Amino acid sequence: MLNDVTFGQYYPVKSFVHKADPRIKLLALIAYIVALFLAKNFYGLALCFIVLAATVIASRVPLGSVLRSVKAVLVLLIFTAVLNLFFHGGEHLLAHWWIIKIYRESIIFTVFFVFRLFFLVMGSALLTLTTTPVELTDGIENLLTPLKWVRFPVHELALIMSIALRFIPTLIDETNRIISAQKARGADFESGNIFKRIKAVVPILIPLLISAFRRAEELGDAMDARCYSGSKNRTKYKKLKFGWRDLICFLLFAALITGVVLFNVYAAQIWPWAYEFIRIS
Amino acid sequence: MSEETSENVISFENVKFSYPGAQGVYALNGVSLTVRRGEFLSVIGHNGSGKSTLARLVNGLLTAESGKVCVFGYNLTEDKPESEESVPGQNNGSVLVKSARDVRTHVGVVFQNPDNQTVASIVEDDVAFGPENIGIEREEIGKRIDWALKAVGMEEYRHATPARLSGGQKQRIAVAGVLAIKPEIIILDESTAMLDPKGRREVMEVVRNLNKREHMTVILITHFMEEALLADRTVVMNRGEIVLSGTPEEIFESGDKLEAYNLCLPRISGIIGALNAAGMDIKPVLRSDELAEEISRKLPAGTSFSAFSDEDNTDEAEAPHDWDIDIKNLTFTYSKKSPFATKALKGVNLHIGEGEFFGIIGHTGSGKSTLVQHLNALIKLPQAGKRYRKKRVKKGSPAPELPEITVGQFDLSSKKCDFKSLRASVGMVFQYPEYQLFAETVFADVAFGLKNFNKNLGKEEIEKAVRDSIEMVGLDYNEVKDKSPFDLSGGQKRRVAIAGVIVTRPGILILDEPAAGLDPLGKKEIMELLHKLHREWCKTVIIVSHDMDEVAENCTRAAVIADGEVVMCDKPDRLFAKHDKLLSLGLDVPLTVKICRGLEKHGIRIEGVCEPEKFASVITGIYGGKSNA
Repeated sequence: MLNDVTFGQYYPVKSFVHKADPRIKLLALIAYIVALFLAKNFYGLALCFIVLAATVIASRVPLGSVLRSVKAVLVLLIFTAVLNLFFHGGEHLLAHWWIIKIYRESIIFTVFFVFRLFFLVMGSALLTLTTTPVELTDGIENLLTPLKWVRFPVHELALIMSIALRFIPTLIDETNRIISAQKARGADFESGNIFKRIKAVVPILIPLLISAFRRAEELGDAMDARCYSGSKNRTKYKKLKFGWRDLICFLLFAALITGVVLFNVYAAQIWPWAYEFIRIS
Repeated sequence: MSEETSENVISFENVKFSYPGAQGVYALNGVSLTVRRGEFLSVIGHNGSGKSTLARLVNGLLTAESGKVCVFGYNLTEDKPESEESVPGQNNGSVLVKSARDVRTHVGVVFQNPDNQTVASIVEDDVAFGPENIGIEREEIGKRIDWALKAVGMEEYRHATPARLSGGQKQRIAVAGVLAIKPEIIILDESTAMLDPKGRREVMEVVRNLNKREHMTVILITHFMEEALLADRTVVMNRGEIVLSGTPEEIFESGDKLEAYNLCLPRISGIIGALNAAGMDIKPVLRSDELAEEISRKLPAGTSFSAFSDEDNTDEAEAPHDWDIDIKNLTFTYSKKSPFATKALKGVNLHIGEGEFFGIIGHTGSGKSTLVQHLNALIKLPQAGKRYRKKRVKKGSPAPELPEITVGQFDLSSKKCDFKSLRASVGMVFQYPEYQLFAETVFADVAFGLKNFNKNLGKEEIEKAVRDSIEMVGLDYNEVKDKSPFDLSGGQKRRVAIAGVIVTRPGILILDEPAAGLDPLGKKEIMELLHKLHREWCKTVIIVSHDMDEVAENCTRAAVIADGEVVMCDKPDRLFAKHDKLLSLGLDVPLTVKICRGLEKHGIRIEGVCEPEKFASVITGIYGGKSNA
């Protein structure tokens, strides 16, 4: 059942990360993901972890909320981890049973892989936890602006996104009301086989669709009455501004990528005897 | 200034308009109308009388078929400036409209549903939408947002999310969004129809200020007679024609005519009519304090009347019936354990006896809807949930009190309760029930609930039950049964939706705002239907309402819910006698109570009558007694 008044996972506190420019946050996430995939050894991974930990602390979002996001991909994580462990292959065979061969390399790779995915999901979750969907839309629109040159309808896309965001809570309310109303008339959504359940959704879906169309029509009229005529001659009130926070973010993530690359090149020279155990192949 | 005020900003000449597919039925049939600059015009008429079409013609959302629509000297029908007479020098004060699209920057329209007018998820972004569209500079948009939000009294909510505001606040944001375009004319197209009384008052206050302080031309389209009274001039529409026009006083003097146009008199005119029938000779006034003054002139000062007697208190100890409702210690929290947790109910205790016509009063968000959803277990009590386990109680501390609800023989706090038959016997009609219709035919939709609750019914039994309930709600079974519910009119849809609930013959019927959004006649008909149901089918009827007059006139008992608690619960006469408390909660009081408050200032005390008819008979009784003596 849809039971939350909020959607998305925005965690409302004031922090350094919350206040940062959404564009920088988006770019930072991309940089972070690039760094994660560039890293070829645990030094690089550790560097990513340090940056992630620093951001989590700076965001003032409770660790539990960040970790909860991993729950969603846990099954996938375990599944791929097991596959990797059994079938990755390598040189130093440790155990052999039926078609399963476990190598030293596959163990190292699996551990590395688990951490990488773990950090990736946590990083992305941190973006949605600290950025409202509205800010995100603004950020995406802004970052896509260069595409206007190739006649890509950036403004229209952004408007569609922002209207969709705006109507999600309204439609959730509406859905809940319709569900309650049909339940009050004895509709049963919780038992029966899959076909019965699909059939049971019809009394919710039809009124919801009709209402959505009605709303769309009324919204169209209201926008028309408020002089909407596409992106021509349109100004924009909200301007995103880079601040000192964004400069810090920029430097931090630039340093991250540089660091990871440097580790990739020079890792072998730090502790040569351990290098074999901390790199992936 | 006098020249400017007499300038016509809108003129209609014999305008005709029909919607495609309406087959020669004109939505507007030869309308002629002029609106002066700075005027406050109200347009009233029943649903489908052409009021909204009028608004859409003015700002060019629709174009007239024949006749002429001129706005600021621009002919919208032919899409060209009206005449050479309107040379720029002569029209200094007015705006020159250059194209049909341009008209929209001068005429703002606020529509009915506040939810369907906001485009952005943050208030200031939404207000900025209009100015952005017409290419205003950034700094200027900022100034306009400041000004518009201030004009509607919503400065504090600049960074709020519209979805979390109340209906009245949302609609004020919609008004601000229109204001930011800086129009000279603002049209409110039934903008208060979906609001509660508080929201309605807020919006009307804003509109009046815009007219008085900013000298904005206002066209208010409404079917609340009480709102129409605030205007300088009122126009009555019927079947696409303007049938009456004049000051509100003049309009409401012609009472019988209004009824012929499917409109109801404002309640106040009804009372005056009843008083005058007894020869009291009261001037047709439109405000409760004026009427109080009028009445006080006719009655001797120091008159005191109280309908209360001590016997009234003895109704407490009644024998239990089959359908009594008992609620104890009911608490409920939405989105528990999230940063947005809100307590909706904080320990509600309530008893509703069999046979009552019970009213539940409260603001939007006071918890009244949450309360009634417990009654048919749409929200289950925690201990009735599948996963509930008793918490271990620490030694020494008292066991936490669990909420309890019993409805007739059903114990809602038990896991074993038969929730299905509970829902069959406690019917629940939600707000705007017509939005839950889904089936292909009216018959199938009404039969839906019946088939869900009782899978073994024969074809004939179903047909009989459906026929009975469709006829019960006042529709013709043979005419509507095969129609699609979506082809019916608004009022008919609502009746079908109610039929779909009462088809199981519930002993208790709960309705959330049954009359919301209907025109006065529709409201009256729905309330009559509910009384009929109460008499013939359902033992107990519970209505959730924020219309105090509705509660005063219909209910046997009512509870006031504020902030998740029952603040008062009594018979309407006694309940509304505590008007100070109601007003301090921000709730309205019925008109009769307002008059009594006015009378008190003139030294006349009348207590315990809140039904208009009873009130009138009490007054005429006192008046008659005086003239006899």
